[in-house]
Amino acid sequence: MAKPNKDYKNDFFHQGFDSAETDYHQRGYHLEIVLNVNQVRKFAQIAYDLGFYIVFVAGLHVRPVEGNDKECSGLEVVYQFARYDQLYRIKARVFVPKSLKVPSISDIYHGADWHERETRDFFGVIFDGHPNLKPLLLAEEDSDFHPLLKEETNLKSLDEVSWQPEVPETTEKKAKAETEG
Amino acid sequence: MLETEFQEHNRFFLNMGPQHPSTHGVLLIVLEMEGEYVLDPQPVLGFIHRMHEKMGESRPCQGFMPNTARMDYVCALPYNHGYVSLIERKAGIEVPKRAEYIRVITSELNRIASHLLWLGAYLLDLGAFTPILYGFDDREHILDILESVTGSRLTYCYHRFGGVYQDIDDKFIEATRAFVKRLRKRYVIYEKLVTKNIIFIKRTENIGIVSPDMALRYGMTGPNLRGSGIAYDIRKNEPYSVYPEFDFEIPVGQQGDCLDRYMVRVREIEQSLRIIEQALDRLPDGPIRAKVPKNIKLTPGDCNFAVEAARGELSYYLVGDGTGTPYRLKIRVPSYSNLSCLPELARGILLPDLVSILGSFDLVIPEIDR
Repeated sequence: MAKPNKDYKNDFFHQGFDSAETDYHQRGYHLEIVLNVNQVRKFAQIAYDLGFYIVFVAGLHVRPVEGNDKECSGLEVVYQFARYDQLYRIKARVFVPKSLKVPSISDIYHGADWHERETRDFFGVIFDGHPNLKPLLLAEEDSDFHPLLKEETNLKSLDEVSWQPEVPETTEKKAKAETEG
Repeated sequence: MLETEFQEHNRFFLNMGPQHPSTHGVLLIVLEMEGEYVLDPQPVLGFIHRMHEKMGESRPCQGFMPNTARMDYVCALPYNHGYVSLIERKAGIEVPKRAEYIRVITSELNRIASHLLWLGAYLLDLGAFTPILYGFDDREHILDILESVTGSRLTYCYHRFGGVYQDIDDKFIEATRAFVKRLRKRYVIYEKLVTKNIIFIKRTENIGIVSPDMALRYGMTGPNLRGSGIAYDIRKNEPYSVYPEFDFEIPVGQQGDCLDRYMVRVREIEQSLRIIEQALDRLPDGPIRAKVPKNIKLTPGDCNFAVEAARGELSYYLVGDGTGTPYRLKIRVPSYSNLSCLPELARGILLPDLVSILGSFDLVIPEIDR
């Protein structure tokens, strides 16, 4: 592809989003953005204005941070956006508060409608402002059953399921590599 | 669009499906109708929901392989391809070149089979019975070819972490070459039978127009998007496997109506044939499977892998926790996003046009319900 690849990091960074570039070959996306609940709609609007299409909305259940149980539900909503004209993928994540309420983006990205309903089915996240938050894939009578919530024994903390910062090679290993090489 | 005035007293609800012949599976659409016009079509999903994501999270990653073929059973090999590539990216496994070539050949054969099935079924929806017999005749050849190497005819589990299950032989190559030749000849028949048929054109032209902005808002991908004139194909835009080594084009439509979506798929068959020919010509020698540890460890952290399935973008999103079992596995399927635009697209159209639109979307319901 001869088209120049535009980097969208600054477009989001200048709007006050906590964004970090990631290694595409390792993770499959270029930019990771951590949102707080109040930023979700602003972020979606900017992504729409920049011409991103919605890939999916999903959930993740981890162990709530200890000592912060009152505010943190342990749930996380993950959004992914990509572009039609070049290779650029964004992952955005937002921590769901104890009230389980996250603003809906289904009026900005109409495709988010079903994805949000699915996330409510599987995780019980309530999307504030969604016009029709009824069960979609699961049956109506199971509306308070959320299959993808993990049991206490299987729960892991967010650190355990996040990329570990790369450990710099110790001098011992380096010396060993040199003698072998 | 509506030309008559609204008549409140003529309003009623109509259930289309879950066993309607043109919903291609167990899909229910509750239609609010006024006379013959559709006011509000609401799809009802979940009749064959099996919670594949939960299954993916409750067994070691190898154990999920058979599941991948049971989402989109019409075009299963790209689903195999996406999942093995995801785990390979996560675990850092290098795949031998020959294995990647075989994966591409089998995936493209499967894509053609899927498009042929769709072509027949779509025309059946529109009331033409003959094309499905021709389509199934050609598709049968592909199933025979694929059965000889994969061992199954529909729900393939052929790709493996680090390679493929078994090598292809001369018999496979010969049969595939013969098939490519055959399908090129059959093209003329399809052209005469369908593409220039005036009744077919009347049923599809200017119906169900998807604008580029609408596609973006709903996250549409695949031939349904390319019909609207956007040349977005993961095989080109986000090159994976050995696709960059082949010379092929991305057919696009102009205005995004049912006829454009039809033309895109038909022309895609030709491009798939080109890829298969080139892959067979340049098929490298070598091993078909890399050495892979018996217990694959998925390092902590998330990872995404997207491939172009027959219906659009298939994304696997995995969160690892250091064990061999995915902590979270999200499967983003193309038909789910493609169908979600139906309520907006089909507002105020005639019921027979709804059948035409549904058919042109090439829906596979087990994939939507997962």
